[in-house]
Amino acid sequence: MGENEKTFNKIVEWLNEANVSTDPKAKVESIIKVQEIIINQHPHLLDAFLDDVLAFQSDRNMEVRRTVVGFIEESCKKDPAILPRVMDSLDLLLRDSAPQVQKRVVQAASQVYRGALMYIARTQPVPPQMDKAWGSLCTMKSEIVKLIDNDNDGIRTQSVKFLEGVVLLQTYPEADSMVRENDFNLEDIPLTLKIVRRRRLEEEASMIFNLLVKFHGEAHVSSVNLMTCMGSLTLIARMRPQFMGKVVTCLENLNKNLPPTLSKSQVNSVRKHLKLQLSNLLKQPSAVDYHGEITKLLSDLGCSSQEINKIMPKVDDKSRRSHKRTSAESASSLHKRPRLEALYRPEHVPEPKKSQPSKVSVDIPAEMTEKFISDRLNPETVCNIVLSALPQVPSQMPSQFAANYAPVQEPGSQTHIQYLAKLLMSHFSGGSVPRAMPRKSGKMVLTELPEDDVEDESISPPPPPAAPAAPAAVAAPEVVMPPPPPPVEELMDQDGDDLEGPVFNQRDTAGHLVVQREKLKELTPMTPLTRPLKQKARALKLAEITRPLSQESKTKMCTSAVKRILSADKTAVCGGVSSVRNKIIVTLACTYNSDIRSEILKFVLEDLQSRLDLELAISWLYEEYSLMQSFTRKPIFVAEEGSVGKRYVKLFCTLANHLADKPEREVLLKRLYLEAPSITEEATDILKELSCDETRCTVGLQLLQSLVIRRPPKQLTYLNALLEHTAHDSVEVRSNAMKCVLSLYDGRSDLRSIIEEYAIMYLGFLQLPVPPDVLFGRERGRPLKVDNWAEGPTKACLYLYLELLPHEHKLIHELTRVYVQTVPEVKRIILRLLDSPVRGMGMDSPDLLKLVEECPKGAETLVTRVIHILTDKTPPSTELVKRVRELYQSRVSDVRFLIPVLNGLTKREVIDSLPRLIKLNPIVVKEVFNRLLGTHSESLSHNSPLTPAELLVALHVLDTKKVELKMVIKATTLCFAEKQAYTQEVLAMVMQQLMEMNPLPTLLMRTVIQSLAAYPNLSGFVMNILQRLILKQVWTQRKVWEGFIKCCQRTKPQSFQVLLQLPAPQLQEVLETCPELRQPLLQHVQSFTENQRMHVPQSLMDVLTGTRHVVQDDYDSQVAEPMSPDGLTIDVREDNFPENSGTSEPLPPGMD
Amino acid sequence: MPDKENLRLAVICSSNMNRSMEAHAFLSKKGYQVKSFGTGDKVKLPGTAPDRPNCYEFGTTYEEIYQDLLAKDRSFYTQNGLLHMLDRNRRIKMWPEKFQLCNTQFDVIFTCEERVYDQVVEWLSTRSPVDTASVHVINIDIQDNHEEATIGAFLFCELAALLTSSEDLDNDIDELLHEFETKCQRSILHCVLFY
Repeated sequence: MGENEKTFNKIVEWLNEANVSTDPKAKVESIIKVQEIIINQHPHLLDAFLDDVLAFQSDRNMEVRRTVVGFIEESCKKDPAILPRVMDSLDLLLRDSAPQVQKRVVQAASQVYRGALMYIARTQPVPPQMDKAWGSLCTMKSEIVKLIDNDNDGIRTQSVKFLEGVVLLQTYPEADSMVRENDFNLEDIPLTLKIVRRRRLEEEASMIFNLLVKFHGEAHVSSVNLMTCMGSLTLIARMRPQFMGKVVTCLENLNKNLPPTLSKSQVNSVRKHLKLQLSNLLKQPSAVDYHGEITKLLSDLGCSSQEINKIMPKVDDKSRRSHKRTSAESASSLHKRPRLEALYRPEHVPEPKKSQPSKVSVDIPAEMTEKFISDRLNPETVCNIVLSALPQVPSQMPSQFAANYAPVQEPGSQTHIQYLAKLLMSHFSGGSVPRAMPRKSGKMVLTELPEDDVEDESISPPPPPAAPAAPAAVAAPEVVMPPPPPPVEELMDQDGDDLEGPVFNQRDTAGHLVVQREKLKELTPMTPLTRPLKQKARALKLAEITRPLSQESKTKMCTSAVKRILSADKTAVCGGVSSVRNKIIVTLACTYNSDIRSEILKFVLEDLQSRLDLELAISWLYEEYSLMQSFTRKPIFVAEEGSVGKRYVKLFCTLANHLADKPEREVLLKRLYLEAPSITEEATDILKELSCDETRCTVGLQLLQSLVIRRPPKQLTYLNALLEHTAHDSVEVRSNAMKCVLSLYDGRSDLRSIIEEYAIMYLGFLQLPVPPDVLFGRERGRPLKVDNWAEGPTKACLYLYLELLPHEHKLIHELTRVYVQTVPEVKRIILRLLDSPVRGMGMDSPDLLKLVEECPKGAETLVTRVIHILTDKTPPSTELVKRVRELYQSRVSDVRFLIPVLNGLTKREVIDSLPRLIKLNPIVVKEVFNRLLGTHSESLSHNSPLTPAELLVALHVLDTKKVELKMVIKATTLCFAEKQAYTQEVLAMVMQQLMEMNPLPTLLMRTVIQSLAAYPNLSGFVMNILQRLILKQVWTQRKVWEGFIKCCQRTKPQSFQVLLQLPAPQLQEVLETCPELRQPLLQHVQSFTENQRMHVPQSLMDVLTGTRHVVQDDYDSQVAEPMSPDGLTIDVREDNFPENSGTSEPLPPGMD
Repeated sequence: MPDKENLRLAVICSSNMNRSMEAHAFLSKKGYQVKSFGTGDKVKLPGTAPDRPNCYEFGTTYEEIYQDLLAKDRSFYTQNGLLHMLDRNRRIKMWPEKFQLCNTQFDVIFTCEERVYDQVVEWLSTRSPVDTASVHVINIDIQDNHEEATIGAFLFCELAALLTSSEDLDNDIDELLHEFETKCQRSILHCVLFY
């Protein structure tokens, strides 16, 4: 008693623990402990605790619920009387959401059902609550029957197992059945029992068996289910031999038609299992009648005959067996006969009923026909068949035949005949079986060939509809067709119904049934018999009957499908659906994987090449763009491969690169860029790249220019790219870019300021100590960075600016601003480059004038240069002269400023500035003279403020205090060099003017001598001058007087006339200076006629003859020249040229 | 059966010596609830010559076999690794067990060669039913040598991990095995049987 109490308490404690615990594992453990104690040790406590345990059926954890099911199972095993109490729980748990629990319930149900049936059979009378529980159990059974079509593989397996149990319970064993211990069957059920009728149970069992057979034959059964079902069927066959035949047929069919969904190893497993089942069957004495079929199957499965023999039991009396079989068959069919009644029972589920008639109708006539044929397959008939078929046998053995052919084993044996009969039968009955099954051996091919002839020539048995009465009589009981209940008819699927049914009904069953079936036949479409009959009972579950393709084959199929679409362009055009096709291709390209993309891309590129058509490519771009912008919703199944944006970019770039490759595709490239929905940075880069290429730059640059205009949102980017190229090192690229920029500059006022800013920015670079990095790089044409302002980088900064200058004059001020801050090298380059832009601007440009006017400090050289350029070929405008003059007077006193505008100045100003001018570098002086004299100037309308004569005169009258005589001499020498300007007449005029001056200019005589040297024809004029000089008492000016003497010396003998006019003292001086003159002069006088000689004063003669000396000391002191430059004499001495060298010019001073 | 401990495993080879024990050792080290068996008539171990194997009855302890071999030819059996193997085995359990004598239920049975698989299936399908609890029998062919046994143990372990990953093994096993098969490139036999 104390012990019991202890146990009781312990159980209570465990149950509490289980209740309280949150850990499902602990709960399960507790329940199992309770179960252990109650079931195995203290069954009397079961009653007390059952409800407590059942309470866990609603536990949240699946494992706990499973445990509860286990508990119920064990309890029922122990005491079936509690069934009424657990039935509700069981029912509830069968509908559990977790398949594991459902499975467990189905598993338990086998035991519970068996226990209940046994209990009912034993207990008389059956208590009412048990009666009720049995009812629920039967309902549950039909539920489980339905579960055979469940989605869950495990549930199906367990259901099959359950059905197996039911079949075994509800059928009769036979004498040679395999007996398992504890077997329970119909025989154990008392006939008197009301609630369970043997007959009903047996009918149900046979129905369920058929269900199993159908399940087994299903085309898409899973391997696990198939093997389970196979095992169940075999077990049933072994234990209930009346089913043996059907099971063997079943296995045969399976061997012929393995489900196509099985993988290779699953096929192996299934075949192995089949082998095992068959050998188990073979061992069974009751299988003796089917040994032929079984051994054949086994050898098909690869068993050697040795192995088969090993398994085969010793068979002594075949005929006895055979006989027994017939009786067994008839007996079983007797059992079946009252099935009519069973089918109307409400608790039956519809599916089995549906399937039943069809199954029967297929199987039985087949057997009948088969028997009919095999009875007639005597050697004569066979010979006839073969002979008539021979002409159709090909002359050469087909390879397939050779491959499959296996020699016939035991030809002519009963087994062989049976087999042939079966094959023929299947041909007759619509060729269903052989068509559906793979050709297993050569035998089949052989027998197939004669088929048509057999039918045509009516050599062999007539087709089934005319089946003879004899076999029909034997089979009659079996083919009794119960009329299916109307509700079932309605439930039937519209397809796949048996076609054979009505045919046989016609001759076997009552007329009203025929009518009914015919109606049905009209309703249902004709479908091949081969269709798995089971199908109609189940809803089509695609996921179940299909197997995912391997990724590889999926991709392959996908790709080849796309390829077909791609290659169908002509067809599409013919059909007028090319735009639809394009749309399809584009959608595929956008939404499928990269393989397909690349395939299509390949096609598109080829297309571009061959047809120069962009349609497809552009559409694709637009599609990608729509995806990218989410205009088009992206299909969810699209695998994400990088962002959509990237894909657009990639596509665009691929296309662009492809097009950029070949010059002939330029048009397409332009279209691509202009028509594309968006041009990304990368695409712009491609364009930039293209523009850098000297040979291809035109298209790139023009495209950029078009883009600037046509794509306003990004015009800055393109403009920038374009501008960048204006500083490119390559002339070709630069000039093209420049052209584009300038046309934009002129055409688009909104862009002017941007372009100017850019130019100014570059100009600004020049202020930096070293060239900035941006100037360098491959894309700028200057791969190597330079650290000083060499010509290249400097020019790069200036190109655009200088191009713009003539277009926008005010920019010049920027240059001056920058100029003052640059290093000397840069300055030099700037000055050099300034030429053409400034010339382009012209002298009248107000900005240039402003520049001259302002002339910032440090920019003098620049301004000078500008003025120089302006006046180089054209005379300065008054405006300019005015500015320069102001500048010169107010701020910059450098005379050089004036040089360019000399011609614009007044005579006075020029003469005033002459002293300073001739002090400059000889080259500059020469330039000055050139300007003044108008020589070296192309302009015809040269108007100098000074005539050449005036200039020379001006030089002579320069104040020698302000300017060294030497400079003046050099300047005059330059004048003389300009023979174009200083002709004979001009010089004469100059001499005339000079001579009239008072005092005489110092350089007078030098000029006279020079003139004479240049133009010897002037000698007469010079004599005249000399004479007049005598009148002006030339000797009073020492320098001039020296010159005078020198001149006379050079011009002898013409000068003798002049010398003779000199007063005697002066002549004396002359002769003293030049003693060599005395003798010729004397001779000259002596050559005079007497009359002439008389005109010569005596004083002169005295001097000539040397009789008189004139004292000149006082005179010398009178006319002392303050300055007596040595240079004069030196210079003159240098001028010592040969007498006949009148054409040779003296080298201008400073040029030697 | 998501937990390792909840999946009741059995590994079976013919002698419950090499392949099944290697897998047993490895799997239990990995935390699985595993047992190992042999299906042969006797426990057979290679002898000094091919025609002279060492045979023992099931039930002889590993220790006894170890001592026996030690006594017979210590160096030979050390060299071919048998002693080492036995040494390992005796640390795992007492003796080789014969599958046909065992009444424990399993969820999954691994077999190491086709013959063993056949024997297991045969035995399971002929024994009288207890309940209809299902068991998956899975065969992977493994050659009977040390190296292959090690590889086999890895394979079994990998497969076990795969199987435990499933929430509903009965439903998923077809796919899991197919997956495993393609992965390890070995053909697998599989069926479901019932206790």
